Amino acid sequence: MDAATSRPAVVIDNGTGYSKMGFAGNIEPSFIAPTVVAVNESFLNQGRTPSKANWQAQHSAGVMADLDFYIGDEAVAKSRSSSSYNLSYPIRHGQVDNWDAMERFWQQCIFEYLRCDPEDHYFLLTESPMTAPESREYTGEIMFETFNVPGLYIAVQPVLALAAGYTTSKCEMTGVVVDVGDGATSVVPVAEGYVIGSSIKSFPLTGTDVTHFIEQLIRERGEHIPSEDSFEVARKIKETYCYTCSDIVKEYNKYDQEPAKYIKQWKGIKPKTRAPYTCDIGYERFMGPEIFFNPEIYSGDTSTPLPSVVDKCIQSAPIDTRRALYKNVVLSGGSTMLKDFNRRLQRDIKKIVDERMQATTARHGEELKVQPVEVNVVSHPIQRYAVWFGGSVLASTPEFFAACHTKADYEEYGSTICRTNPVFKGMY
Amino acid sequence: MILLQSSSKFLLQTLLNRVNNLEKAVELDYQWVEFGDVRYHIQVTMKNPQYLSLSVSLPIPPPETIFYGGLPVGALEAIKAAYIGIVQILDPPRDGFNLTLKLNLSKLPAQDEQRQVLLVKIASVREVVLGAPLAVVLRSLSSKTVSPNLNQLVAIVHRPKESFFVLPQAEKVTVIFPMRFKDSIDTILATSFLQELIEARRSAGLQNAPLCSWSLSPPPELKEVPAEALSANAGFVTFVIYPRHVEGKKLEKTVWSLSTFHAYASYHVKCSEGFMHSRMRRRVDSLIQALDRAKPDSEASMGTGQSKSFKGLSLKDSRTNSSS
Ligand SMILES: Nc1ncnc2c1ncn2[C@@H]1O[C@H](COP(=O)(O)OP(=O)(O)O)[C@@H](O)[C@H]1O
Ligand SMILES: [Mg+2]
Repeated sequence: MDAATSRPAVVIDNGTGYSKMGFAGNIEPSFIAPTVVAVNESFLNQGRTPSKANWQAQHSAGVMADLDFYIGDEAVAKSRSSSSYNLSYPIRHGQVDNWDAMERFWQQCIFEYLRCDPEDHYFLLTESPMTAPESREYTGEIMFETFNVPGLYIAVQPVLALAAGYTTSKCEMTGVVVDVGDGATSVVPVAEGYVIGSSIKSFPLTGTDVTHFIEQLIRERGEHIPSEDSFEVARKIKETYCYTCSDIVKEYNKYDQEPAKYIKQWKGIKPKTRAPYTCDIGYERFMGPEIFFNPEIYSGDTSTPLPSVVDKCIQSAPIDTRRALYKNVVLSGGSTMLKDFNRRLQRDIKKIVDERMQATTARHGEELKVQPVEVNVVSHPIQRYAVWFGGSVLASTPEFFAACHTKADYEEYGSTICRTNPVFKGMY
Repeated sequence: MILLQSSSKFLLQTLLNRVNNLEKAVELDYQWVEFGDVRYHIQVTMKNPQYLSLSVSLPIPPPETIFYGGLPVGALEAIKAAYIGIVQILDPPRDGFNLTLKLNLSKLPAQDEQRQVLLVKIASVREVVLGAPLAVVLRSLSSKTVSPNLNQLVAIVHRPKESFFVLPQAEKVTVIFPMRFKDSIDTILATSFLQELIEARRSAGLQNAPLCSWSLSPPPELKEVPAEALSANAGFVTFVIYPRHVEGKKLEKTVWSLSTFHAYASYHVKCSEGFMHSRMRRRVDSLIQALDRAKPDSEASMGTGQSKSFKGLSLKDSRTNSSS
């Protein structure tokens, strides 16, 4: 047994917007940092003109410049204060699209944030269910060749979210995971720990869109928020004051009748002049989250509301799994933290299911007895980092280490081994 | 330069969080591991939210290292001095740990700056504990008092079952690191990095830095040390420290830089590898583009930029390619 299996595995869930990182066995990740890198671009350009003669010099300069980067909140701060740093977002819509940036991001996660020696720990990383197998190979190459990790497992995010969703003491590995993160929203059916790939659905709006919409509503009303700050302020307003209502018309009336009760105030300080300012927060409190249920209010075109997408997803899954799927709709991702999101989603799905049922009964008459379908949207307190938490739980089971690809396997068979990651006990 | 901070980022974050919400009762129970196999455990209970218990487990010491009561020489005194007034050392420590401190966060200095300094010091507990024996030796060098173990080699643990060696002499202290790496490519890179480091030291502008040298075989100072403790695959690095390197505030910095020298070198190696990988990816990319351009039109659409893999181009190949 190698000594690394006696240490907790490192669990990193790289989201489009935020990366969650920490050690297996804990309830919460140690750090949540925006998935962004600030790179000193002045070097990159000179690196593109390869010349053999000064390789050594270039190498040293390269290594030095290579260290001149920041990740997370520091990256954001750096790009604001200095023009030589450019922000680069390694992940777009759930997929890694800049491997250099991704590698740098991991480097600092490991050495500066977690401060661990990657040779000492097995690693559990996550990926979206749409990830191509090649992408897993690159991840494997970076982890095994740059960081020399002793073992690696790449888990599918919704599967981990399910593993996190203990409703009872028994872990239910069949369900639909509705993951609403920062840059991607997906609806993923899982049966016995396996993703039903052909039924995965995506939804075009995400947490960032809620923020944009709130920002837009506030701007249109003529509130004065300094423009360089407005997205951040809108995000904070969203996370602090927004909620999901059951009926927009009724909600508007409530605000108009009792503004004092519903309208909140945001107090801020202008970044440049340091002058304090205030701004009212009104209808956007419930209008922001509404875009998931009435997408046309934001995007104009008539896209399908999220509850119908969930329903379509389940309807396209094998018939014998459908009841179990309706019964276990699990929420994951920061944007599902919007207050009462679960209740609204459950109500709207139930409505669709009931209407279909009534139509069936109407067509076939009373003689056909249809069993009612139970719709259950499961909400739990660790929803915000359900994926990370699921990873933390699974990576602390003894089966985890056996399911990992080891450095020895990698050296013998190459990076193609990373393409598949077996479902292991604890997942079903 | 890559420099590891002496404070644990997570520990500091947790301490600050706790101190700023001291009235809020929370339940905290967290474990993590840092480089060199230093393990931490922190706990706060609902009943006594102003207390935080912090346990630390150290890397397993090799036989040549001396531990007193599970701690390196001088560690206990160092802890008492560093955390005076807020700490209680629990005996025995939490199961599986070398040390458990019970910190009373309500006794922290009221003044912001002092408080911050102390919190950083708590978050740097590994330096206080593991660096203690080195601090003792360097302190007597800086105060020009005769070291209690003059001309006697001291072994100090810095990684599991690995130590580095310190030789206190009149007017100077020699510090020697056997350098070991697991991976063969790391070993090659580290060896060249260490030699570069020595070169760099010779260049102008670094005249005040400690003298350093690298050798493939153990330097003569280590002739008494059993062979098992000297199985280095990336040679030996020797630093010579003079009183000017440990004057006043410099002492703490020097202790930290030396106790984490191995981690520093291995971080550097990983960075170099990362850099080479990005270069390789870029090169594979441009190769693919060139191939795409060279193809007859009918085939051009097939090879997309998708295959950015540098699989097959191992690091060893790239070294020979690039330097040829
Ligand atoms: N309490 C909250 N209420 C509403 N939105 C939240 C809350 N907390 C976080 N978010 C939003 O969740 C998103 C991040 O979710 P996350 O699942 O971490 O995304 P990803 O994994 O895609 O990076 C951000 O848009 C953030 O603003
Ligand atoms: Mg996510």
